[in-house]
Amino acid sequence: MSSALRKQRYLLDYTLSSLARRPGKNLGLLLVYTLIVFMLASVMLFTHALRSEAVAILQESPEIIVQRLVAGRHDLIPAHYLRKMGHIRGVLERKGRLWGYFFDPAVKANYTLMVPDEAQPAADEIEIGATIAATRGVGLGDIISLRSADNRPFSFRVSGILDADSQLVSADLILLSEATFRDFFAIPEGLYTDLVLRVRNPRELRTIAEKLILLLPDTRPILRDEVLRTYDAIFSWRQGIVFVLMAGAVLAFVIFAWDKASGLSGEERKEIGVLKALGWETADVIRMKFWEGAVVSLLAFLLGYLLAYAHVFYTSAALFEPVLKGWAVLYPEFAPIPYIDLLQIATLFIFTVFPYTVATIIPIWRAAITDPDLVMR
Amino acid sequence: MRNALTYTLTLLWSLQLFAAPLTLPEPDAGSTCPVCGMFVAKYPEWIATVQYRDGHAHHFDGAKDMFKYLFDLPRWAPGHNAANIRAIGVTEYYGLTLIDAREAYYVVGSDVLGPMGHELIPLASEGDAQEFLRDHRGARILRFDEVQHALPVKLDEGVFE
Repeated sequence: MSSALRKQRYLLDYTLSSLARRPGKNLGLLLVYTLIVFMLASVMLFTHALRSEAVAILQESPEIIVQRLVAGRHDLIPAHYLRKMGHIRGVLERKGRLWGYFFDPAVKANYTLMVPDEAQPAADEIEIGATIAATRGVGLGDIISLRSADNRPFSFRVSGILDADSQLVSADLILLSEATFRDFFAIPEGLYTDLVLRVRNPRELRTIAEKLILLLPDTRPILRDEVLRTYDAIFSWRQGIVFVLMAGAVLAFVIFAWDKASGLSGEERKEIGVLKALGWETADVIRMKFWEGAVVSLLAFLLGYLLAYAHVFYTSAALFEPVLKGWAVLYPEFAPIPYIDLLQIATLFIFTVFPYTVATIIPIWRAAITDPDLVMR
Repeated sequence: MRNALTYTLTLLWSLQLFAAPLTLPEPDAGSTCPVCGMFVAKYPEWIATVQYRDGHAHHFDGAKDMFKYLFDLPRWAPGHNAANIRAIGVTEYYGLTLIDAREAYYVVGSDVLGPMGHELIPLASEGDAQEFLRDHRGARILRFDEVQHALPVKLDEGVFE
């Protein structure tokens, strides 16, 4: 081992024993520091996971959705709008979709009912999301009874349990046939929930949307990018709320850390004086104190991040879930897909470890350049 | 009914009212445009391809660079001969399919910019080209043979005449 490296090792060794000499104070600092990193990292990890989940869902969604508006409210769209729209250049495929929500009083949750494009289940069969199966306690071949819009009981045999990449989509989903859907919700033939268009060239989306508004003035085209942006804005906004709630705690930590780091106690001053009297150079003292700051902040960062990782990906962010998620009821099983984003870690690192380490340097330098005799007196 | 449809299609085809789809080798992640040096696979909406008789192909990130290349083969592809070109394909704007460049319609001066700025936007049929011209405020429609040697360079300067 080279001598420079050995020197750093001895300094680190001294730092650790010096930290151990004041266990209460340093453990307290470590605890508060870890807590702050934990909270910040939890929010960042969870919102990012939610956001990537939304992106994953929308990847499969059509480029343009056309909704009919009546008095500013979303209404069923007649099938002849497909004809009225005609062939718009750039649109590869257009079709009507049938989907809706259903509140199940038995489990007090909303289901999403949808007619799939292909492989529709038979008239008295449904395919259900894994979460519905778990909450209603049914398996393949069992019967589920639901009450329709006009209060008729419908019995369905479960012919399949959906298993999608993303729990958020499939959790509350029920797939059924078109005829059953229309019967269940009393939607007459010739009406759809909305129309969807497939467009190959993303550059052409805006032009197509403009044409749609002219051709079908009582509709609203919704672009996939807009939906994505909206989700993004919602998640950023929620993240912002949590950060504001945490601002007090962060501020308290900053004051605490600043006080601990910058204002040297008389005892510490004395220690520096003794070290200098023993022949330590100013640079050595600064190095030693740098190691002290680095050890505390790195340890806190590592602990905080690990705890946050476990919190988000093993307990589904149990602490923040209500604020950060919360736009539907039936997501008890939502487990974000674990990921590690180096950029995110770097951001967090720069905002926590870096300021603390820097804040410790200047006062120590000031103490270290004063005459040992003066300090010890 | 079916026969009538086939007949009409064949007729349209023979009249070259729309260009047939084309299958050519695709660029891989490392393919660069011989003219501008940019990676081609990053711009799937703009790919143009020139294939030679021996099967190897050059890819471009837009029809403009493809024309520059064709107009000055000795400069951009030394050792290649225009007589050995088997097929030329361009990516048509609305459906993003590869079509025969010689049958495509090109709109210049539109508000749609490619990776290399102003472009010759390839379209599959005259109807497509006219609607594109209207929608995107294009300057004019050209066939393959009508593209002048000076045009690609003029496009770089924002001149469409």
